[in-house]
Amino acid sequence: MKKSLFYVTALFLFLVASQFANAQNKTIVGKVTDATGAPVIGANIIVRQSTLGTTTDAEGEFRLSVPANAIITISYSGFKSQIIKAETFNGYLNLKLEEDVAHLDEIVVTGLATSVKRRNLANAVATISSKELNGVAPAQTFDAALEGKIPGAYINANTGAPGGGISVKLRGVTSVYGNTQPLYVVDGVFVDNSSTSGGLNVVTSALANGAPTSNANGGTQDNPSSRIADLRAEDIENVEILKGASAAAIYGSKAAGGVVLITTKRGKEGRTKISVSQDIGFIKVRKLLGVRQFNQARASSLSSDSATGVLLGQEFLAAQSKGQIYDYEKEVFGNTGFARNTLLSVSGGNNRTTFYFSAATKDEGGIVKNTGYKNSSLRLNVDHHINENIKIGVYTNYINSSADRGLTGNDNAGVSLGIALSSTPSFAQLHDSAGVFPNNPFAASNPLQTIALMTNNETVNRFITGLNIEATLQKSKSSVTKLIGKGGFDFYNLQTSAIFPSILQFQAINKGTSVAGFTSNLNVNYIFSLVNTFSPSDKLTFTTSAGITQETGDYNNVLNVATQLISGQTNINEGGALNGTQTRIKYLNGGIFVQEEANINDALTLTGGVRFDRSSNNGDVAKYYVYPKAGISWNLTRMDFMKGDFFDNLKIRAAYGQANNVPAYGSKFTAFNISNISGNSGLIVNQQQGQPDIKPERQIEFETGIDFSILKGRLGFEFTYYHKDIYDFLMQSNPPSSSGFTSAWANAGNLRNQGVELGLNARVVENRSVVWNTGINFWFNRSLVTKLTIPSVPQGSFGYVLGTFQIQQGKSATQILGLDGNGGVSRLGDAEPTFQVSSYNEITFFNKLSLRFLLHWKQGGQNINLTNLENDFGGTSADFDKVTNKLGVPDGIYRIMQVGTDAHEFVQTASYLRVREIGLYYSFTKLPVDYVKGIRIGVSLNNFITITKYRSYDPEVSNFGTGFSSGVDVDPYPATKRADFHISLDF
Amino acid sequence: MKKNIFIYTVFLLGLFSLLSSCKKDYGDLNSATVESFTANASASELNNLVSGTESGMRNNLALYLDDIGIIGREMYHFSGSEPRYVTDLLGGGGATLSNSNFYITNPWASRYTVVKNCNVLIEAATNSTLINASQKSGYLGFARTIKAYQLLMNLNLTYNDSIRIDVSDPNHLGPFVDYTDALAAISSLLDSAKNDLSTATISFTLAGFGSYGDASGLTKFNRALAARVAVYQGNWTAALSDLTQSFFNLTGNFNDGVFNVFGTGSGDQLNGFFIPQNQTGEVRVAHPSFETDIEAGDDRINKASLRDAVASLDGLSSDRDVWVYTSSTAPIPIIRNEELILIYAEANIQNNDLPDAVTAINKIREGHNLADYSGTFSQPALTTEMLNQRRFSLYCEGHRWLDLRRYNLLSELPLDRSGDQVWTEFPLPVSEQQ
Repeated sequence: MKKSLFYVTALFLFLVASQFANAQNKTIVGKVTDATGAPVIGANIIVRQSTLGTTTDAEGEFRLSVPANAIITISYSGFKSQIIKAETFNGYLNLKLEEDVAHLDEIVVTGLATSVKRRNLANAVATISSKELNGVAPAQTFDAALEGKIPGAYINANTGAPGGGISVKLRGVTSVYGNTQPLYVVDGVFVDNSSTSGGLNVVTSALANGAPTSNANGGTQDNPSSRIADLRAEDIENVEILKGASAAAIYGSKAAGGVVLITTKRGKEGRTKISVSQDIGFIKVRKLLGVRQFNQARASSLSSDSATGVLLGQEFLAAQSKGQIYDYEKEVFGNTGFARNTLLSVSGGNNRTTFYFSAATKDEGGIVKNTGYKNSSLRLNVDHHINENIKIGVYTNYINSSADRGLTGNDNAGVSLGIALSSTPSFAQLHDSAGVFPNNPFAASNPLQTIALMTNNETVNRFITGLNIEATLQKSKSSVTKLIGKGGFDFYNLQTSAIFPSILQFQAINKGTSVAGFTSNLNVNYIFSLVNTFSPSDKLTFTTSAGITQETGDYNNVLNVATQLISGQTNINEGGALNGTQTRIKYLNGGIFVQEEANINDALTLTGGVRFDRSSNNGDVAKYYVYPKAGISWNLTRMDFMKGDFFDNLKIRAAYGQANNVPAYGSKFTAFNISNISGNSGLIVNQQQGQPDIKPERQIEFETGIDFSILKGRLGFEFTYYHKDIYDFLMQSNPPSSSGFTSAWANAGNLRNQGVELGLNARVVENRSVVWNTGINFWFNRSLVTKLTIPSVPQGSFGYVLGTFQIQQGKSATQILGLDGNGGVSRLGDAEPTFQVSSYNEITFFNKLSLRFLLHWKQGGQNINLTNLENDFGGTSADFDKVTNKLGVPDGIYRIMQVGTDAHEFVQTASYLRVREIGLYYSFTKLPVDYVKGIRIGVSLNNFITITKYRSYDPEVSNFGTGFSSGVDVDPYPATKRADFHISLDF
Repeated sequence: MKKNIFIYTVFLLGLFSLLSSCKKDYGDLNSATVESFTANASASELNNLVSGTESGMRNNLALYLDDIGIIGREMYHFSGSEPRYVTDLLGGGGATLSNSNFYITNPWASRYTVVKNCNVLIEAATNSTLINASQKSGYLGFARTIKAYQLLMNLNLTYNDSIRIDVSDPNHLGPFVDYTDALAAISSLLDSAKNDLSTATISFTLAGFGSYGDASGLTKFNRALAARVAVYQGNWTAALSDLTQSFFNLTGNFNDGVFNVFGTGSGDQLNGFFIPQNQTGEVRVAHPSFETDIEAGDDRINKASLRDAVASLDGLSSDRDVWVYTSSTAPIPIIRNEELILIYAEANIQNNDLPDAVTAINKIREGHNLADYSGTFSQPALTTEMLNQRRFSLYCEGHRWLDLRRYNLLSELPLDRSGDQVWTEFPLPVSEQQ
């Protein structure tokens, strides 16, 4: 199949290449500048209805031969585009571009191969520019850099551990047990964003089923990082977010969670630019909870046995007299991690070939010793015009990343750092003498020993390569037809190693454990599309596209657990016992799509499209599922009756679309488990029932909105309302166990998300010395389970005693139920925030000094917080002895008394107001030597200021991973803050 | 323009036809599937199902023994991380048996998983064209026998709440039948298995069946189970007739029989009931009445070894570890000759054939270092004696609670704390009640 496609494509390219050449008879020369008169470098000068065009050079100048009657568009990202007619124009063109505060001229992708200006867009598509993403206070990983920047999203870090790990939910929860995360597309490549567990469950028993991994309910308690974190934010030009089916329908079966489209940087024609930047900074814990201040009586009260209590009291006095009272929380989480990041980029090109090259390396320590993150990456993007009709692009990226993530989070064996700390009082003696650590008598592990000796590493080697081919098959005055091919592959090798040497306290029985995971994953996808743009007049344009898509994935994970390790050895064959498991996932999704866009007078834009999709994961692999979409946008200010002065731009819009989410691989089969009895290997039916007729879950979204800008574009406003129904959501049901099965995948019901997104862009101040741009977004989402066909039972987390999620018809999908203190079970909260607000600001002084900051306010939304309870159980919480409750007992005791009668204490509101990023940058314009073209220095703070009443390390947490059960807080790796100094030089 | 449109149409049609040939179903890459086995299984695949069935019988077996042993006041299970062994199962602190807790949901589901495996084996063997008729009978006879045994174990737990018999179609499960009908169904299932085995050739290897792994051996095992079911039914004559076709031997080794066996091999299971002696934290200890009620000199006292230190939890304590299974690979009986001798005694008592009953009882007494029975020769007295011998002979093998329930004597069990209860039966798991 692939081979024949190649021939077909080659044949067409040949046909096309042997075509036509055009007469050109006028030369235009000019200069493009911004409002302050500074040259705009790399602005696009394009002749309408042709492929003619150029870009401005380093002085902002350009020269282009055009037909005498040409209409020329001059555009540059961030500025309003301008149109000039060649025939009305002679001599040198001095063109001043106005800044596009409301982003109306931004080009937004609407199809697999088509795009439209934002002023004509039917959807609310969020865009994050390079500067917003990475130019304020860079985060450690790409995924963390998205936080607070997408209106309509609920983004939550799973953990503060080095290397990231994040959950992104666009416009509410879109599934229950299916995938809730968006599809990430980098330069046309569908990249993998899975989380692969390193097998920590072997030592933590977080999920007590004896399996090496704790994958359940679509999440995992092992807190692996998300693979999207491998990407380098510095290489990214912009990010577009298609938030729901109405925008993403054309991506078909993987688009139900939304689509994040990432475009990396491209070279620009002209002088070769070399840029070197260096960041140096440090990382510290954002907040510590504090520890309990002990005295003899409190020490004694740690044991209910009076004799032991007396001994504990004496132990405390002895430690106190020797000055051996320690703050172990600070020793464990109080490390300062040093961070460095170096980036070299080279870009340039000529009129046929442009390139962007970057090499980058970073090395960052963690707030726990022996943890940290490293990432090195190489990127080469090349665009080349084979001739004036064929353009190809190759976008390659190699990434090597390594994360040492420590041992944190939920744990039933007393080994993770937080759980061990929770029962370790300050008078315990845990320090080593000459490398030999004493056992911790208060817990199953000595956290200082654990930190010093264990390893939990994820190392990734990854290649992502995107290919793009654009061939003009036919061109006439009114019609242009192109063949557009996009695709590529994403391949990575992931090695996880979790090593616990035999001398660790908790390895007394296993005598050393080494868990070695080897994962390889290959995703390949392509889109071939024919796009015809037909313009019968200059007031009417039809864009027709049709094509095929295919996506394949092949994931292979081998996890070897070796125990009884020979001292000092880590190889899995150096152990006395070895258990291996292998997991393979393979899929093929195929689609066919057709899309029609009509633009009438640049005012009315109509879009209609349909995609047919099938997947090897569906019960019926041959069946095509149909996903239609439609959109309309009407720009009233382009109409004669609205040509007033007040509205600079006014648009009303509506869009409708469907998308789906394929069932999990293997959910249609009833598998056998392997068994052994006295050497006879056997098969016994797995307790999960296969569903041969499993269907994808289907999402139908409608959104509508109004956008306007006033005051000559200085104030832009967007309002969006969306309504999306998810039909046949995927969930695991609990069939009667007399069937032999305890769980089964089911298309279990329907749910609905509705929400509102408001956006405001303004240039608050604009004068010669100060320019202040601000963007404010406000959004909220509400979900409702409209139908549930299986019995409602608690899902995930810890049951009613401590708070649990539960899907119930007529209730919010993310409600949290728990014991209400009156003998019943009531709704105690909801993971869904009441609303969120974020604001991005940039204030520029004298065009040299730039202050940028990002504020994020999340109001409402509850977490299930057990971190504090663990500390209460262990008698170590900082406020254990305070008395603020109605019973007059110590608060720690009071909270423990709530367990079993009232779960309010554990379902806590996780509101926060956070200055996520703040950065101050200065650009030098008078430079000492002429080969240096620019110097920029800056300082930035990330996550430094947070206002919250939430009682754990951070309100933003999700220890059960990216699945449905978000916001569970069980002794995570604490959240961090960072400060950086930046310097960059342009040559 | 027209020409171009024509070319594109051809081009697209070509691509679509290529695409439609790309439909794929990768199957399950990680494990064998039921769907593939029920089509036309080979003998080696059927043998895998047999071994899987035998292996699966061990899943949650320790919990089953806990359930019966704890409610029957044979033992306590003290666990630092699991209080429900001393609360719910004993009725401590006002706790009751819950329909969603592990002590019923887990063993219940494990037994029905084995039933499912037996049903898959029956379907696979029936559909297989790669085996001959007598081999087929062997697979069917084995599968039906084990299925009956697994159903009986769940019935033992839920008693009047009973069980479903027909569970072959997971999407259309049969009804719950009452206790008497359930026993009758199990009995007839055993009979049909016996019929299968009568013409069977056994082409599979079993692990815990010793010399009873061939067709005649499996028939004897089948009849031994049938005898157990018959006494549960009060069908004394049938019990005696079943015994004659089983491996019952009045003078034979008490431990002759069929067992769940354990091993240390990769993927094999350890005896989950075994805990080393003198542990703290997680222990299984004998109910104090075991020591006080046993006759002096009875060697069965060794089934509860004296501890170095008393173990206690939540107002309960004991100074003896349960020491029935003395290593992590010690086998757990499915049925053995000592029980058959006691069934022989019981059936004869109820048939008022007292001398034969006393002979059997004395075999047990002699075997355990006790003098012959010297009590009254009456049905009630001998019933008491028989139940007493069953108590010590079959200690922690999953019988005491069931025996007292059969004779309506649960009220005789000792209560250790005020508020403690002796439950008659487990509630049906929550998943069955929807």
